[in-house]
Amino acid sequence: MDLLDFARGPALTFAGAVFVLGTLWRLSGVLLLPRLRDLSPPREGAPAPWRGALGTVLRRMWPRREFLDRTMFSTVNSYVFHIGLAVTVFGLAPHILFIRNFSGLSWPALPSNVVFAVGVITLVSLFAALARRLTHPVLKLLSHTGDYLSWALTTLPVLTGLLATAHLGARYETLLALHILSIAAFLIWFPFGKLMHAFLFVFSRGATGVRFSHRGVKA
Amino acid sequence: MSTAAAKSPAFDQQGTQSDAQRVDAAMRSFVREFGVTAALHMESCVRCGMCAEACHFHVATGEAKYTPVYKLELFRRAYFREASPFAPLVRLLGLVKPPSIGELQQWQELIYGSCTVCGRCTMICPMGIDIAELVKEARHGMFKAGLIPERLALMDRAAQQWGSTATPGEDLPDILREVSEEHGVEIPCDLDSAEMLVTAAPAELGDHTKALAAAAKVLNRAGIRWTMHQGGFDAANIGFNNGDLELQERLTRSIIDTAIKIGANTVLLPECGHAYGAARWEAAKWYGQALPVRIIHMTEFLDEMLAAGRIKVKPIGQSATFHDPCQIVRRGGLEAAARRVVAALGFELIELKDHGIAGYCCGGGGGVVSNVRATPLRHKVFEIKRAQIDATGAERFVTSCGQCRITLEQGAKQARWTKPVESLLELVADNLAD
Amino acid sequence: MSQARLLGEVLRERGVSRRAFLKYAGYMASLMALPPSAAGAMAEGLAKARRQAVIWLSFQECTGCIESLTRSFSPSLEDLIFDFISLDYQHALQAASGEAAEEARRQSMRENKGKYIVIVDGSVPMGDGGVYSTVAGHTNQAILAETIADAAAVVAVGTCAAFGGLPEADPNPTGAVPISQLVGDKPLINIPGCPPMPQAMAGTLLHILSFGKLPELDHLHRPRAFFGENIHDRCYRRPFYERGLFAKAFDDEGAREGWCLYELGCKGPVTYNACASLKWNGGVSFPIQSGHGCIGCSEPRFWDRGGLYRALPTGTSDVRKVIGIAAVAGVALGAGAAALARRRSAATRDAAAAPPAKTPSPQE
Repeated sequence: MDLLDFARGPALTFAGAVFVLGTLWRLSGVLLLPRLRDLSPPREGAPAPWRGALGTVLRRMWPRREFLDRTMFSTVNSYVFHIGLAVTVFGLAPHILFIRNFSGLSWPALPSNVVFAVGVITLVSLFAALARRLTHPVLKLLSHTGDYLSWALTTLPVLTGLLATAHLGARYETLLALHILSIAAFLIWFPFGKLMHAFLFVFSRGATGVRFSHRGVKA
Repeated sequence: MSTAAAKSPAFDQQGTQSDAQRVDAAMRSFVREFGVTAALHMESCVRCGMCAEACHFHVATGEAKYTPVYKLELFRRAYFREASPFAPLVRLLGLVKPPSIGELQQWQELIYGSCTVCGRCTMICPMGIDIAELVKEARHGMFKAGLIPERLALMDRAAQQWGSTATPGEDLPDILREVSEEHGVEIPCDLDSAEMLVTAAPAELGDHTKALAAAAKVLNRAGIRWTMHQGGFDAANIGFNNGDLELQERLTRSIIDTAIKIGANTVLLPECGHAYGAARWEAAKWYGQALPVRIIHMTEFLDEMLAAGRIKVKPIGQSATFHDPCQIVRRGGLEAAARRVVAALGFELIELKDHGIAGYCCGGGGGVVSNVRATPLRHKVFEIKRAQIDATGAERFVTSCGQCRITLEQGAKQARWTKPVESLLELVADNLAD
Repeated sequence: MSQARLLGEVLRERGVSRRAFLKYAGYMASLMALPPSAAGAMAEGLAKARRQAVIWLSFQECTGCIESLTRSFSPSLEDLIFDFISLDYQHALQAASGEAAEEARRQSMRENKGKYIVIVDGSVPMGDGGVYSTVAGHTNQAILAETIADAAAVVAVGTCAAFGGLPEADPNPTGAVPISQLVGDKPLINIPGCPPMPQAMAGTLLHILSFGKLPELDHLHRPRAFFGENIHDRCYRRPFYERGLFAKAFDDEGAREGWCLYELGCKGPVTYNACASLKWNGGVSFPIQSGHGCIGCSEPRFWDRGGLYRALPTGTSDVRKVIGIAAVAGVALGAGAAALARRRSAATRDAAAAPPAKTPSPQE
């Protein structure tokens, strides 16, 4: 079995299994912990908890006016690579094929050249994020190995994807195999580091939304 | 700095526990905090560093160690070792170290000396982590480990003995009589039956008795059947501030049980921030069910009395700016109520650049104003408020929390800033119309 | 089968003009991407060559390889091939059969000891002592070993011989192996394809004949001249790939527009062959041009890549069952972890019931 067959076969299967197992383990392990009921009366006119939760989930998509100028780089750069990743992952025809293969869902693709350009922008943005993490005093203090690993395993698929599309650096089947293996690595690491924020953000924002909407505050 | 100061450690300790016992006590307490909400928040930090940009301590100094989520570092490690979904693996593989005694001792400065539990960080966090609440929870463990600032421990011991940090309950009638005489206002004390049990903040029983008199004046004008009572009179729950859960419960029960005993349907809290947090939002948990009494803050009370026409005020007609106390507005939900009272007073409100839910903390909450070690830092933070207040060009400066007033007055004195800090309650009382 | 006369003489006798001969040499040289000067060298070499003895062994094969070779299209190529080489043994084309045929093979081996080329098509079954393919009771393995012992070189044509091909595909019931596993250190060329392109077979033979040595080979022993580039890089539909225009189903609008067949399982990007440039049947067409994706037939294990119509960027296993089990296991582990955390929390509560060290009185 050559590298590409390994990548498309056992590697993806294993990675998918670890991803599903790990994500559900972490989510259920957190969500099944004891829940403290808030017995205080809500602020008069407070919305239902689920609405409060949803409100905060949506409001935190962008910083409050008062915080914007101090968080401009983080906010803008993060959106650039998040949106870039989304466009690349969900807009490129081979990726849609991949998703259709295991889920049956598909949708029209974007022109491949457009996605390539977005991919390049995404890569630059990811490197900018790394540069900031390595140089900013607050981020240097907070970051640990897992954070850098999360960065690397998010960047590698973008990088290997661009190389494969451009047929740059090795034979195509090797580049494609490396790209698929980098996705496998990403999926395997996903449940264990900060990448889980992709699922957690809804619950974390929601919990604060419930608490604050109860008090009559639009958090 | 003198050599004496350099030699003394940057933390205080209470009790006679061994180091190992302290660490154990802290860890046990931490573990008890990890319900689903705390766990979600501990899992969700992506180390984006935005919380630092909201925190007045970081903004004033630029020091990375004041990053809010960094204040949770030892708490975080306890979580991942003890309660996280992968905790058994974490322990087995030694992926996260338990906190050491040295770390806990150094941590006191972050948890008590550079956090006012103001929650501004909670408002900025893109993952919606309620960092302030988690700091408050971490304090429970620090208290159990006997690692809180000594001044706060002193106040804790006083409250354990007296039921208040200000005065023993038995002295209350005398104090109230003096206030009553000095300010010419009637203050009922220890009545067996009343509609409303009124509580006070410690400063109101000491330096700021004018506030107490102002409350009495308003209550009497509104025709409320009220009383204060030595069974429960100090609303500023120092246990809530320190992380002493047992004291928090005791002080809360003393007020609620007294209210029930005298048949009151409402408990009125003074102009105090943490009192609101302790009584309005956390009191019910000690009883395991909804309280039979209504908890209301002075600001809410003034708003309701004015709206119902039970009191009227003469318009003052000057410009004013308002400092939003964190526990009342951002974490309490009374932003609009406070502004209605300000409007009723006829002030032309010029908002601070950062106001309302995103307003900057006075810098003294959460026990910081009582923490001697934190004084230099607090004065740096004051500069942020001063600059914003001055920038409004407003003639008057008003707030609705006694601790904020004390903090701002102390800051003003140190910075030789002459603008008076006024109480919303006192302004209402001084301007009651017939 | 005389080796005495030079090829140049033989051809002149047959009426092949020098000009036609040079033209052919020039054609073959350009086919193999050799420089223009090589044409002359090739012609010179060919003229001076003697007829090369070739023994063609056929094992687990479908006869497609020799069928392909006989469809070679250049004028008189067939004649030239059969004049340039002395094909002493080949199941499909030989007149003799049975013992006479076997004896012809052995005679060629004796008379051309150390100089004959062995062409092999089909894989060799090794399972159960090799019983799954025999000739006159002799296993393929034995025949191969016997025949290549004094050969100058071995040329494995077709994917079956080169890489195992169809017999070797899962579950490989006969234990089929590629020829490369059985040749030891004999010089080996693989000319894969199912079937291989006639130009690839003919051009490689002529190269050996003209220059007396093997052409440049890649890491899979394939001649770089024909297997150095992938289909994707020479495919005329590449612009549609770049623009993201794909046929979604056979005979849909995209297919009729001639769009890229990537989504229909085309393995062009990972298949190295000359189909897209030289094309088949006299340069008429090739599978993609006819509307069917490349099946990757010149690559090892192309039968076991998840199916001919499974697009490249998709996984090859059916993950649904695995995912289902993983999901259940994940929730179970999570619930277990939460229960463990609750227990640890409860244990601290019990310990806290015992009074902790009291904070001392204000006199301290």
